[in-house]
Amino acid sequence: MKNPLVPIKATIRDIMEETHDVMTYVLEAEGDAFKNFAPGQFNMVGLPGAGEAPISLSAIVDDDSVHHTIRAVGRLTAYMEKLGKGGHVFLRGPYGRGWPMDEAKGKDLVIVGGGLGLAPLRPVVQTVLNDRDSFGSLTLAYGARDPQDMIYRAELDSWQSGIDVLLTVDNVPEGAQWPHAKGLVTELLERAEFDPASAVAFVCGPEIMMRFVSRRLIAKGLSPENIHVSLERRMRCGVGQCGHCQHGSAFVCKDGPMFPYAQVSPFPDGLL
Amino acid sequence: MTGQRAFQKYRITKEAFKLLVDSLARDMKVVGPVSENGQTAFRQVGSSSELSMDYQSTMLPPSKVLFYKPVEDVLRFDMNEDASVTETAAENEKVLALGIHPCDVHAIVYLDGVFGEDPHYMNRRENTILVALNCTQVAEHCFCASVGTGPHLNLREGYDLLLTDVGDSYLAEPVSHRGEELIGGVRAARVDELLEKDAQEKALTDAMTKQVDMDGLDELFMKNIEHPVWARVAEDRCLSCSNCVMVCPTCFCHDIVDETAMDLKTVRRLRRWDACHDVHFAQVHGGNPRCTRASRLRQFVMHKLNYTAQFATAGTVGCGRCISWCPTSIDLTEIADEIRRSPMA
Repeated sequence: MKNPLVPIKATIRDIMEETHDVMTYVLEAEGDAFKNFAPGQFNMVGLPGAGEAPISLSAIVDDDSVHHTIRAVGRLTAYMEKLGKGGHVFLRGPYGRGWPMDEAKGKDLVIVGGGLGLAPLRPVVQTVLNDRDSFGSLTLAYGARDPQDMIYRAELDSWQSGIDVLLTVDNVPEGAQWPHAKGLVTELLERAEFDPASAVAFVCGPEIMMRFVSRRLIAKGLSPENIHVSLERRMRCGVGQCGHCQHGSAFVCKDGPMFPYAQVSPFPDGLL
Repeated sequence: MTGQRAFQKYRITKEAFKLLVDSLARDMKVVGPVSENGQTAFRQVGSSSELSMDYQSTMLPPSKVLFYKPVEDVLRFDMNEDASVTETAAENEKVLALGIHPCDVHAIVYLDGVFGEDPHYMNRRENTILVALNCTQVAEHCFCASVGTGPHLNLREGYDLLLTDVGDSYLAEPVSHRGEELIGGVRAARVDELLEKDAQEKALTDAMTKQVDMDGLDELFMKNIEHPVWARVAEDRCLSCSNCVMVCPTCFCHDIVDETAMDLKTVRRLRRWDACHDVHFAQVHGGNPRCTRASRLRQFVMHKLNYTAQFATAGTVGCGRCISWCPTSIDLTEIADEIRRSPMA
């Protein structure tokens, strides 16, 4: 019996600077365990001595590389920032169920991201663009603190065809060029065009943002069953053993981390 | 471990059973209940004479003594050029575990659902012959009858042999081939002995005064998330000491920790028990969903009595250890009763 807690070694091939404090690590792992992940799935990324943290897979790529977009906010991510190209990290995964892509087929899809929450949504956009005819309209509403905090800027510009990309920031520094909106991401939804009766929404960002986005989408006519939110919970194992991520009766790691808003909003100890 | 076909039922005298245990002790480690200074604990015995088979309860449950260890080595990193990983090898130690009460057998079956993919847990599980023992007495905090886990064991898999004390003998019911091999060859049980067992079960069930009404409890609790009982009990009495979690036979939460050696050449990754009462248990970068003591007490109690969707069964087996070992006598059955008696509008 294989121990699911034993990780696979990976080598850092490239580090891409997304913003002043967010990096995308391009990793090359032994074997092909991470090749065919579902959009929204995550890996436990670890370093000996620093432990592990759940990090979403942030890109579908042609080669065997594994992409993780990381902001150094904790112990593990702070250590990772110190590693250069050629450094080693250890991966387990992919874990979780990912976004329900099949449920969105043939329907209008509304993607709402806040800050680094765009990372697990990028593979969704890539999947839709690779199979554009299988989906209805595609709206991406993305908000960040200020223009320099937006990740995947080049792609956001290249995605403009086939997607309604709506951007907003909380704050525009004096003198900065910003042709897009200023304010909350919820306000962007007023400009989005979709059929509320059948549309499906994927939402990822700070929990408080997901609460207000979900409520606004419900007010616009979406069913709480069709709004999927990505929950952030402490995870130690990723395979439903350690118990840290329990939310209601669910293990966020293996039953989620995406849940229909209708399922998780009644649970205690959530912000939804 | 599992047996689908019906096995023969036997009767063996206690003296003969002791001789059997002593002969098996030459080939394997024997673990059973041992009483010392008024407390009973599961530990290794050298001889059957050390066993106290008529015990009431133990502080640590057999599920945790035998299978789900406080600390488990997972792997080791060698910090050489390659930073290689070495998985900790399995133990393969043969164990005969005796005298496991019905509630504790249910708890082991519950943990099988959590650790079915953990090779260390499953290795110990497969290498352990489990001999269950029906209860002959009801302890102060037992409420197994309310949750269907006792006082007699009605499971027919997950262990090997079930003993029932009938005076100078045990009624012995194998539920696996291993159990059959262990006991086979002694006299078959008579109908009157089987009837005596049934009468015992009824008398014990009637004697159990502590109860919790599990009917519709899932829904009732979900409607009473903000019931005042949570804040009151948490703030007046709960010390967040986690005793309840440590002694619980089904509590499975753990942390995964890296320990770097003093010479920095190796890192040991281990798993060790953790508790939802700890303030940092659910902490994430963006905040702490259970930052109040009331929310942590509620998480523990709801995980035992509610959330039955998780493993298609309640988290409690009615052993009452969390009540016995709580320094302020917090009683989850009283919390459930209060919510049922005076639910929020």
